[in-house]
Amino acid sequence: MFTYNKDTFLNINKIIFSSLDIREVYQTMSNELSKIIDFDRLTITLITEDNNLYEAFVVQSKTREDTYIKEGDLYPMKDSLMEKVVQSRKPVIVDDTAKSQFATDVFLFKEGIRSRLGFPLVYKGCIMKHQKLFHIDEKKYPIEFKERIIGSINFGSRQKQHYSKKHVDFVSKIAPQLAMAIENTRLFNRIKDAEEKYRNVVESSPDIIFECTSDGKFFLINPSVEKILGYSVHYFYDAGGSILSLCHTDDQGQVLREILQLLHGEKDSLMDFEFRVVHKKGNIVWLSLEAIPIKQDNKIIGIEGFCRDITDRKKLDELKNSLIRDVTHELKTPVAKMEMAIDMYRRSFAIESESAGEKELHLYNLLQNNVSRLKNIIRNVLDISRLESGVERLNISDFTFVELVDQVIHELNPIAIQKGNTITHQIPATIILKADREKMYYLLVNLVGNAIKFTSHGRIEISFMITPYGFEVSVKDTGKGLNEEAIKHAFDKFYKETPSIPGSGIGLAISKNIVELHNGCIWAESGGKGKGAKFTFRLPTCHLMKQST
Amino acid sequence: MKDLLIVEDDPEMQEFYRDMLKGEQFSVTYASDGEEGLKEMKGKKYDLVILDILMENITGDRLFALLRKDKHYKEVPVIMASSLDKQTYQCFQALGKVSFLEKPFTKEMLITEINKYL
Repeated sequence: MFTYNKDTFLNINKIIFSSLDIREVYQTMSNELSKIIDFDRLTITLITEDNNLYEAFVVQSKTREDTYIKEGDLYPMKDSLMEKVVQSRKPVIVDDTAKSQFATDVFLFKEGIRSRLGFPLVYKGCIMKHQKLFHIDEKKYPIEFKERIIGSINFGSRQKQHYSKKHVDFVSKIAPQLAMAIENTRLFNRIKDAEEKYRNVVESSPDIIFECTSDGKFFLINPSVEKILGYSVHYFYDAGGSILSLCHTDDQGQVLREILQLLHGEKDSLMDFEFRVVHKKGNIVWLSLEAIPIKQDNKIIGIEGFCRDITDRKKLDELKNSLIRDVTHELKTPVAKMEMAIDMYRRSFAIESESAGEKELHLYNLLQNNVSRLKNIIRNVLDISRLESGVERLNISDFTFVELVDQVIHELNPIAIQKGNTITHQIPATIILKADREKMYYLLVNLVGNAIKFTSHGRIEISFMITPYGFEVSVKDTGKGLNEEAIKHAFDKFYKETPSIPGSGIGLAISKNIVELHNGCIWAESGGKGKGAKFTFRLPTCHLMKQST
Repeated sequence: MKDLLIVEDDPEMQEFYRDMLKGEQFSVTYASDGEEGLKEMKGKKYDLVILDILMENITGDRLFALLRKDKHYKEVPVIMASSLDKQTYQCFQALGKVSFLEKPFTKEMLITEINKYL
């Protein structure tokens, strides 16, 4: 039987596109279809990506319930009707399954199907070369238009020689739409899967994951926030709660500054930014924030990122630091006594007089040098643990920067000259800093001292620059330079490129702390081994006085 | 000859003092802890007292505060010797006639400090 009816045809098209999932309307579609084409079995089969298998996407059989081909299962392409359809991209008719060469027909014959029609489903549309769930940049991911065979729609009939050209003609009218609907279904499912995966990741993450607008309104925050801070997500969504208002009062200023820098595009990202938040129950929670700005049409409209609860780590850190501090402190007394004993030894044996033996003098110098090295390490460790503990406050005063630089150069010049180095600077005499002078002195002594240590017969240059983000002071040398690894770890405590390098390996860690106390940042650059190094710190302009006249 | 009292609980430190003050024109008495030092001072008026700070039972800073309340010791110069940072004890400056000697120190540093007062 074949009755062509235009209304039925239009209706089928309407049904095909009435749902995002073709399987939901498949029954209705096949009912309509059966008004035109007689069939006892209708399947849609789809090729898998590797072309070796096909998936029985939907199966509807009027002859058997436990049909051989089952919905959702995969079957080999080899020797199937589908293989022929896919290869030829043309409809294939089997007049009698009893005499057919296709492997599947043996089973279908047993199920009572005597003739078949397989029709290719060709998808004509755009295919994205790289499929990314969000933010598709069309320049990076070109969209291609092409035809692709995705599978076939297959009819089966109890009668022999049931299908003919008129069936083929009709199916060719609905097949393209069907192909498109199937592709849509698949895309829809992929998005649904990806969305579910994404949601699962967000919901089950132990970290707080958030997205908020530039005025601090959350449009995403996951349930971890309740575990970590005690406030439910509704507090942030509905009650307009902000993380900033929960911040520890001492940290609010810094948090606000960092976030504003992100929103104003002064920083591309925040990494490992640590601050304290007060839990609903009143206890302090340490968070580490990583965040990036959300952009729309090149405009920053908010920020997204995550906060990790690092309270336990901080407690351990504090424990470790106080242990280091206490042990180091305990070392002070014996080292002081050793130094006094060495002094007593010097006087008792008149080491510096001409009568003293060469060996005694050598031993005395050896003891003296090592004790003073030990003393240095102890002082540095105590300095940094004091800086890290946060008890250290800045003692801000106004001072002429060039005077400080001259003082540093004056102090270090003798060692520099010994190594054949020259130190120069281009600091304008008008620059007045509003900072902790003693700490700035330490910082410069450290940077210039390091430059001298790693340079011989070269130049060391101190320079000053005002940038949109603050002012920068650089110490550049023509010395040994740093490799990438060393640049990465230069400011780590106790980091030394090779253990034989003299010093405690703590000076740059202290320098970093000093810069951070002034709300600045410090970094190292180098062209590589043998190509010199440049250390730069940048402080916000609030540490810069108006230039004196 | 001027009388010096050194309150120091560390025998090795006492040895350093002995070595450094050998041949100097002072009569030196040693007390091995705060309590003993207090007892010494009750029996005799010394011209200068050197105090260690971290000691058991009575610490040097506590002893110093007690001295300044005592009418005999109100004006007696005191040198506080310790491996603690000088600035930790800056607040005592207000109580007068006191100086701080950071350990380790040399003979010269000790003598200079003593000569400031005697």
